[in-house]
Amino acid sequence: MTEIAAAGVRPGWRASLAARAETARGAPDVRRRLQLALAGIWLLVALLQYQSFMFSSAFNQMIGATAAGNPRVVASPITWDATLVSHHPVLLNSIFATIQLLIGIGIACRPTVRLALAASVAWALAVWWFGEGLGMVLTSSASPVNGAPGAVIIYALLAILLWPADRAGRQAPFTAARAVGAPVARALWLVLWLSLAYFALLPGNRAPQALNSMIASMESGEPGWLAALERGAASLVAHQGLAASIVLAIALVIIAVGVYLPARPARATLVLAIVVAAVIWVFGEAFGTILTGGGTDPNSGPLLILLALTYWPVRAAITAPASTTQVSASISEGTPAS
Amino acid sequence: MTPSWILDILAVIMLVVAAASAARLAVARPWQQGTQAVLADTDVSHLLMGIAMAGMLTASLQTLPNDAWAVVFAVLTAWFGYRVIRDARASGVRALAGGHCAPHLIHAAAMLYMFVAFTAPAAHASGGMSGMAGGTGGMGTLQVSFLAFVFALLLIGYSIWDLDQLSGPGAIGHYSLAAGRLAPAAVLVGATAGPGTAGVPVPVSGSAGSPAATDSQPVDACAPATSGRGVLAPWVATTSRIAMGATMAFMLLIMI
Repeated sequence: MTEIAAAGVRPGWRASLAARAETARGAPDVRRRLQLALAGIWLLVALLQYQSFMFSSAFNQMIGATAAGNPRVVASPITWDATLVSHHPVLLNSIFATIQLLIGIGIACRPTVRLALAASVAWALAVWWFGEGLGMVLTSSASPVNGAPGAVIIYALLAILLWPADRAGRQAPFTAARAVGAPVARALWLVLWLSLAYFALLPGNRAPQALNSMIASMESGEPGWLAALERGAASLVAHQGLAASIVLAIALVIIAVGVYLPARPARATLVLAIVVAAVIWVFGEAFGTILTGGGTDPNSGPLLILLALTYWPVRAAITAPASTTQVSASISEGTPAS
Repeated sequence: MTPSWILDILAVIMLVVAAASAARLAVARPWQQGTQAVLADTDVSHLLMGIAMAGMLTASLQTLPNDAWAVVFAVLTAWFGYRVIRDARASGVRALAGGHCAPHLIHAAAMLYMFVAFTAPAAHASGGMSGMAGGTGGMGTLQVSFLAFVFALLLIGYSIWDLDQLSGPGAIGHYSLAAGRLAPAAVLVGATAGPGTAGVPVPVSGSAGSPAATDSQPVDACAPATSGRGVLAPWVATTSRIAMGATMAFMLLIMI
């Protein structure tokens, strides 16, 4: 990518570009590492999509179930999709899995990273609607503990935030701000985490036994040790639905506003975000039920952790000179993460 | 049931990897290099893993019994474990993540785990592991499924890392624990054949091939050569490893 990008640049810049590239060569590129983590998750999702379960009628039933509770305009296409999959389960699931495989490989390969990230946004939005029922956010059953607002929409968000470009002449206080700018990146973070706080306080989630039931339901089909963990966690929150929801909502609000704080407290709130995401992943999502052999993806936990890492304040602000925006971005993406 | 044609395609890919590894060994002739012959271990492991995985993926290919494969991969795991420890002593803990022996250790350990933890479906209780599709008996599963998940994550991680390095500027040259001081295995193998020998890797590092490189300096002994043509080209070894790692992760996940 470096050579391709540099080819279109004025000769006077070549020396400085070469120096910049040489400097970058020895430094780890945080954004590229985060892109690779995203590629790894896409590859995991693709391989999970090739599981036996996904080629059975259970897959289209799982899709069809996401229509329940959604408005008709949202539910109808989901039902159509589920019917289509039921008629051609092997063909369509093979196509789905292969698309996700290509996205993962594309992000991991430097020359195709932009194409793959763009494709991942389109694919994620389609799956969010047709496969996840918009993460059930329009129903009363959305909860941050069970994966709202839909894991797949976070893939799209990450693809945008990790887009290999730098805004001209701006200082990026964290990686997520490099492509879209700090105000937009912070606003996206705020909306996401405030929405999670809102979902935590929905009547269905703050009922006395709501959280207990949600966690206890994850026990089915899990290995003994994980089932025991789920049972223990469920008993901890038994009849404590309201208190647990309020505590969770407060933590989520703190996380939401954390990116507007100075670097040190911002880091503390990001650590809190990572801890909350990890707890949700283990106890609320049971590792995406992958260990049951029927998980389609690792669910939202790892993605929220990856998202938090993209907002981790950098020591020295990343600056992109106006006239070298494209080139410096390309050099950065073409630099090995040593 | 995962369609058998998917498993068959992967079995073919594994046989291609095994064939490429055999070709690399045949062209490089490591057995003619005296004591350096042991540095062919990565290609030998690819060859064995390719055959074993092809046998696991398709019922029509009978290979060795499970116990025999378990012994083979126990030996390979011990060997690459020794290599990683040696790297770690020379280069620090970075060897665990950045060295070339660590992925091979994970590959070998994952294979060992699959053969040890495999539970055949009831209808194939005496049929060993051959053929994951399993016919009418359904697919086998793995005990301690969390370990399968962890291995799958590690294999995916290394495959993604390899893809990134393969597609980057300088490709394989960026692999190093201590740049400029490491001697890739195939370089050491090919060094005694002399620079310029057709198809044989030549040293690219000042210390590569020197006796000191094996004792006083850190040696990333599993690193692919940084030069070479035809089947000895570095991308062949790396592509083989990517294909093998991704296929192994797939097998682990569908047997959970």
